[in-house]
Amino acid sequence: MTDQYPTLLQCAVPATALKVLLWLAYRSTDFEVHRNWLAITHSLPVKEWYYEKTSEWTLDYPPFFAYFEWLLSQAAHFADLGMLEVKNLNYDSWQTVHFQRATVIVTELVLVYALYLFVKSSPPGSKKQAHAAALSILLSPGLLIIDHIHFQYNGFLYGILILSVVLARKPSGLLASGIMFAALLCLKHIYLYLAPAYFIYLLRAYCLGPRSIFTIRFVNCIKLGVSIAVVAGVAFGPFVYYNQIQQVFSRLFPFSRGLCHAYWAPNAWALYSFSDRVLIYAAPYLKLPVNAEAVNSVTRGLVGDTSFAVLPDISPRTTFVMTLAAQIPALVKLFLRPTWDNFVGTLTLCAYASFLFGWHVHEKAILLVIVPFSLLALKDRRHLGAFRPLAVSGHVSLFPLLFTAMEFPVKVVYTVVWLAVFLLAFDRLAPPSEKPRVFLLDRFSLLYIAVAIPLLVYCSLVHQLVFGAKYEFLPLMFISSYSAIGVVGSWVGFLVVFFTS
Amino acid sequence: MGPSPPTAHRSRKKRKPEHSTSNGAVIFDSSKTEKPAFPLVAFFWPAKGTNTSQWITLPVIFMLVFLFRWCTGMWPYSGFQKPPMHGDFEAQRHWMELTANLPVTHWYFHDLEWWGLDYPPLTAYHSWLLGRIGWSIEPEWFRLYLSRGTDDAGLKVFMRATVVVSEYLVYIPAAVLCVRQLARLHNINGWESSIALTGLLMQPATILIDHGHFQYNTVMLGFTLATIACMLAGRPLWSCVFFVGALGFKQMALFYAPAVAAYLAGICFSPRLDIPRLLGIAVVTLASFAVLFLPLLLGTAYDTYRNVPLPSDSTLPPLLSSLSWQPSEKAWYYPYLTQLAQTLHRIFPFSRGLFEDKVANIWCAIHTSGLHKLHNYDSALLSRAALGLTLASIIPPCALLFFRPREAMIPYAFAATAWGFFLCSYQVHEKNVLLPLLPMTLLLATDGGLKAATRAWVGFANTLACWTLFPLLVKDQLRIPYFVLTGLWAWLMGLPPASVGAYTVSGEEGRLSVVSKILHLGVYSIMVAWHLLEAWVPPPNDKPDLWVVANVCLGAAGFGLCYLWCLWRLVEESGLLSGMRSTKRKEEVSKKKQ
Repeated sequence: MTDQYPTLLQCAVPATALKVLLWLAYRSTDFEVHRNWLAITHSLPVKEWYYEKTSEWTLDYPPFFAYFEWLLSQAAHFADLGMLEVKNLNYDSWQTVHFQRATVIVTELVLVYALYLFVKSSPPGSKKQAHAAALSILLSPGLLIIDHIHFQYNGFLYGILILSVVLARKPSGLLASGIMFAALLCLKHIYLYLAPAYFIYLLRAYCLGPRSIFTIRFVNCIKLGVSIAVVAGVAFGPFVYYNQIQQVFSRLFPFSRGLCHAYWAPNAWALYSFSDRVLIYAAPYLKLPVNAEAVNSVTRGLVGDTSFAVLPDISPRTTFVMTLAAQIPALVKLFLRPTWDNFVGTLTLCAYASFLFGWHVHEKAILLVIVPFSLLALKDRRHLGAFRPLAVSGHVSLFPLLFTAMEFPVKVVYTVVWLAVFLLAFDRLAPPSEKPRVFLLDRFSLLYIAVAIPLLVYCSLVHQLVFGAKYEFLPLMFISSYSAIGVVGSWVGFLVVFFTS
Repeated sequence: MGPSPPTAHRSRKKRKPEHSTSNGAVIFDSSKTEKPAFPLVAFFWPAKGTNTSQWITLPVIFMLVFLFRWCTGMWPYSGFQKPPMHGDFEAQRHWMELTANLPVTHWYFHDLEWWGLDYPPLTAYHSWLLGRIGWSIEPEWFRLYLSRGTDDAGLKVFMRATVVVSEYLVYIPAAVLCVRQLARLHNINGWESSIALTGLLMQPATILIDHGHFQYNTVMLGFTLATIACMLAGRPLWSCVFFVGALGFKQMALFYAPAVAAYLAGICFSPRLDIPRLLGIAVVTLASFAVLFLPLLLGTAYDTYRNVPLPSDSTLPPLLSSLSWQPSEKAWYYPYLTQLAQTLHRIFPFSRGLFEDKVANIWCAIHTSGLHKLHNYDSALLSRAALGLTLASIIPPCALLFFRPREAMIPYAFAATAWGFFLCSYQVHEKNVLLPLLPMTLLLATDGGLKAATRAWVGFANTLACWTLFPLLVKDQLRIPYFVLTGLWAWLMGLPPASVGAYTVSGEEGRLSVVSKILHLGVYSIMVAWHLLEAWVPPPNDKPDLWVVANVCLGAAGFGLCYLWCLWRLVEESGLLSGMRSTKRKEEVSKKKQ
């Protein structure tokens, strides 16, 4: 087989058509956030970028993203000058909407190119599988929901991530991969979660000798160090020069936010909150003390301090320690056997750890897990078994992002089609595994997927019919807990696969 | 395949799907490897040769085409925030509130000036049902007089959803049945007919008008598809029922009526006279009409019983007063007669003009191009001229179908008849182009339908039709959906302006003639040039409608070509043209097989 049909570009065409049709769909405040950044970078001198606060949506991405916005604003100039005024809060002329929506689509071409390289670089025996995985990322419902409806630039950013991961496939590309990742960090610092895997991999595969860890390749160390320093210098240099670095970092890392984000990202803390909620009712029987103030606050789940009624409160430090603790085993394995597959596996596990135990995790961060995992999912049937519940839960957990009636069918139908097509295709393509399957993951995932249907029906229809506007948190909590079970389940499954292969 | 006995083509049902297919979805490149003939096929490539169940492919197709429909629905609709009269969206909403709030006898008498109900009863019942459902969700959307011109976002979602649900209940199942019947008739495997089905369902003009502009055409078109499916399945009585459904939903289904009548009559007379069948068709048709009007008459009975008077401003339907025999107002049947007469009066308003707005038919083209100003003539004369020309255009296809009622001729005959009506009759809207387009697009599912020759003509008609709808869509602020959906469909089918693949195809079979190539590419380049002009060059001051007029004239000419092509293929298909040639071809084919 020389060609795979449909090709990446062939899939990109109807996908783009659909995305253009979605231009007038619901958009979140992130749209205004990015418009504001366009205005800030276009009309203010660099030294005011991180101080400007006319809008509540201040610039809180690293400098490369600000430069990126500045570049876009040069084009925005031709579309509508109104969107480039800092004072024009919530400005949304049709030109502005069309322009910003179009930039998301155009910058996503980076992803298409990265996926093309990924397929090209994969060994001949697994081209078919790589092609299917690439299509699944390109057409991901996560990207559709977050980028093209909710509004963000993840397609572009994940494109750079995949580019960097693909470059790391060959020893000759390691340096470029490191630089690319450094640049990505300067675009959006959420990728810091993946940094430990990069650090260990580059250290072991690039800076230390292939045979022994005691031969240090100094030339490589210097090359890598200097390149990364240059990237960081280009990004943060101007702000160091203006002596603003403290201000920049206070914008990038606002630790004042709560443990759980507004929508309850499906992670360990969601299960923790859920247990807390259940324990409120059980506490009188178990003779546990209940914090009366917290009883009301948890359910609202607003951004702010989350306090628990029965279980002990969680500090940022705890989450940090737990995240790192969860990452270390995989990092050790990567250090001992620095293959590309292990590298991608470790990336996935780092993302899992930070998603599951991180502080103030947003449900959008699930893409951080899904994207690298997709690259591995078709390695064999065991990997696929662990991937399946993640594919379902990860995308279902994004549903609460869109709550308007018009967008409801889009998110559900698109996700269902994607799941049906790709889970079937993956099932056909995944080669049998060399080792016997340890888990009853297949049964688990089938049951898990089956539960999704009644759950969605309840959350979107039945709940409203039965309770009306009361207990609004219930559907959200169900979706979140359901997704958390799936994410945790797939994490456990993948841990087993990763450490036994 | 090994040599097949000459009778092999008779046992069609049990043939297994072949690996290498014949309907034009697959081509071979220079190194003799198979590849998709056009991009739409590429999407079905993973399912090729595998026995992927219809229970998977069909739902996936339905969901994907749904996404494009629903996302088109996010754009504005006709008359969105355009007082005083708004548009078709308001008309449909008004019909819902009218039928849901008023006694049945008032439906066809209520205020004509504000979008009076002028569609047949099935539309009225449909509106009543939707109005009732909508009322239970949010009464503010359907308060008679008070809700006029409402543009509530929730109402938009509700109305868009009603279009989708109606379409998925009628049009989509009918399309599946019809494509299956065609596949059985022409011996096409399931894989290739799924491709044809997707091509049919992604038809841009239908999506743009129903889900963008806002109408319920797909219900009527769906009944038409069901009619065709029943004819192909050899169930003429059912086809009568469905066709009455189509007529009862939208009187525009009359475009097909002559072809339906010709076929149904034809199968009663050949191969031999079949009186029971003729009687059956007549009885079933009459009974269907009776059932169609029954709810209206029952409602009238109920209102008569309750002594509900007609609206105070109502006048007697002219139809009733023109009767030679005047029924007494006291007679028991008088209210029913009044209702029926009024319904017919509303459905067929003979007093309107020859054409409405700017439509790409002959009359409008002659008039607006300045070739000949038509309002110098008496309207009765013009009506007669239109009638004469329409008859002249539909008699050939209908006569062919009547004398040789072959199943394979049905789509061509339907298309040719509908083109004839669209081009020559009076009272035509630009949206009516959907009627000839449907049977024409259905050709994708017929023998050789995906090969360059047929695909190019189907694509030509569709693209041209969308293009003639462009001025209307611009008014509705649907410019972007127009470009997206038309461009996407052209790209999927591998046709201009996205690709010229269909015109450069080499090989013996399924190629376009040179004349068609020149005509098509010429028209396509004019369309592209027109778009550039329309976008960048304002028309001269003394001719503000210049671009629209150019659109109408080219459209009418192109549709004329489509009519001629359908007629030509119909003649070929009928085997009338020199029985010699077709037998010769058959001999060659059988020689090749051996």
